[in-house]
Amino acid sequence: MHEVTSRSLGHPARALHWLAGLFFGLALVFAIVAWTVGDVFFFRLGTEALIFAGLALSVDLLLGRTGLLPLGQALFFGMGAYVSALVLKNWSSSFWIAIAVALVFSAITGLIGGLIAIRSKGVYFALISFGLAQVVSKIIFNTRELGASDGMIGVPVAQIAPGLESGQPAGFFLVVLSILFILYAGLAYLMETPFGRQLGAVRTNEQRLSFLGVDPWRTKLAAFVGAACIAGVSGALYPMLRGFVSPELMFFQVSGNAVINVIVGGTGTLIGPVYGSALLTVLRSVVGSYTAHHQIVIGILFILVVIVLPRGLIGLAAPALQERLGRREGAVRTPILHAEHPQ
Amino acid sequence: MDWIQFVLAPQIVNGLAIGVAVVLMALGLTIIFGLLDVINMAHGEFYAIGAYVAVALLGAGLTFWWALALTPLLMALIGYVTERSLIQRVFHSKDRHTLTLLLTFGIGIVLEDILKLVFGANPLRVEAPISGATEMLGLFFPNYRLFVMGLGASIIIAVWVLVFRTSLGAMVRAAAFDRQMTASLGVPVNRVYAATFAFGVALAGVSGVLLAPIYSVFPTMGRDFVLIAFSVVIIGGMGSIKGAVIAGLLLTQIQSISSLFISPVWGDPLLFGIMVLVLMWRPQGLFGRLGHA
Repeated sequence: MHEVTSRSLGHPARALHWLAGLFFGLALVFAIVAWTVGDVFFFRLGTEALIFAGLALSVDLLLGRTGLLPLGQALFFGMGAYVSALVLKNWSSSFWIAIAVALVFSAITGLIGGLIAIRSKGVYFALISFGLAQVVSKIIFNTRELGASDGMIGVPVAQIAPGLESGQPAGFFLVVLSILFILYAGLAYLMETPFGRQLGAVRTNEQRLSFLGVDPWRTKLAAFVGAACIAGVSGALYPMLRGFVSPELMFFQVSGNAVINVIVGGTGTLIGPVYGSALLTVLRSVVGSYTAHHQIVIGILFILVVIVLPRGLIGLAAPALQERLGRREGAVRTPILHAEHPQ
Repeated sequence: MDWIQFVLAPQIVNGLAIGVAVVLMALGLTIIFGLLDVINMAHGEFYAIGAYVAVALLGAGLTFWWALALTPLLMALIGYVTERSLIQRVFHSKDRHTLTLLLTFGIGIVLEDILKLVFGANPLRVEAPISGATEMLGLFFPNYRLFVMGLGASIIIAVWVLVFRTSLGAMVRAAAFDRQMTASLGVPVNRVYAATFAFGVALAGVSGVLLAPIYSVFPTMGRDFVLIAFSVVIIGGMGSIKGAVIAGLLLTQIQSISSLFISPVWGDPLLFGIMVLVLMWRPQGLFGRLGHA
């Protein structure tokens, strides 16, 4: 079982599950500590990191699985944010209605965007997704009804459950953490289903996949719509946290940062991008408090990872961890894993 | 008739001046892609650096003409060093399409922030070296725009001659066509790659200098401009020089003329719509690839 799992993930799977458990465990420890000391700032920052981790997951679904590099995923993130803000302002203060409407809208725009972008491959796909986001963000930027360049401020807090609303730092952090966990666990499970294998096959050899009677176009479109939905839900959480939306949410900066988070964390590992988002969001905030030029630091870090560590931080940590886990369980399984993952 | 003479004609001429600059940008992109298979995401930043290098040279007391002559050389040097020190490192891996795209994206982020650090975020103005206007057919055209058109067209022709009519160009095309074979014929392929990248960067730099007096100079000036250049390259066909020239002039004309009828705000969505339609009809763009056609 584990041998099959690890082959399909291209990474030692048990180590990844362990690292995922570690992440969500650490997040809970952080919540307890921050709640005890009555913190607000770090709760807000942590929640933002988790929201961008959701966006990074959607990028990893495309880049890490199907090998399609999305340079405009902020389109769906921003779409979710705007839809959620509009629902909260004009229609209902219910958290669930805002999320549901954002989900429907992201699925529809994902389908339209997918029909356009999936026609192309490789770098063409990257550039078209880039262009799509650029154009839609320009349209929003110039639409007065949506607040134009200022965006919309004064988004009311969302009611999640009786006594729980998005204005409570600790409560909302835990809600976002749960949503991220559901997204992560859902994706990790999906990757083990036949559909998940098809996604990997698109990356490896699209032509052979069609010999097996599977339409690669449909597989890619499904992945694209799925990624749009994940990005949209993540975006829907943003105005609940910050109380505003602006066209900047759709700009290339956001798409680019999501890709950076994925690459630095470790492409195709799902949990790597989550770590990457958490680390880099905190790093941006910390370095940003010293200098306005934190992009240099992030950019140089990113360049180093691309050149030296193409599998990211998790790609560095996971094999070593897997060896330890294997050793603890006895020598029986280790040789098989070694055979499949020559280090 | 008056409308054609006083509204349409100036718009076409203005569009042409921007058009040749876009073609220069697109040529750089398409040559780099055609030979190295690298999507240079930092191209817009190299364009901005070209403009800033000119600003710095002007500030040092040189005339605009010296700045125009020296900037491409400095930009080529920057491009050569970038290729040899960074891009070369991921160039031979299996995933090089994605890796080089990501790498140049990272380089762009760093370069843009360096520009902000050195020159500040505020827009700077560059004085046009030629003032006045020339009367043609009862109309006045700014001399500087005419100069940009003339020089741009000469550079485009020179690039075409260099690539298709000289032995140096043949070497470059051979390296694009079959790397191993070319290397075994004694061509220093790695140096050809770096020089080609440098050449493309120099073209972006020239474009930056030429447009500096028309637009103002600011660190993110390349962002919107590079999107047009990318659309041009995609529509023309990645790696095709002919495609870049034809698509570049066509698209800037469409954008320029359409701004008479619709708000300029919709210019970019219009270009992108055209790009999508072309890709649906011909996914590889209008023309073939450099060295492969």
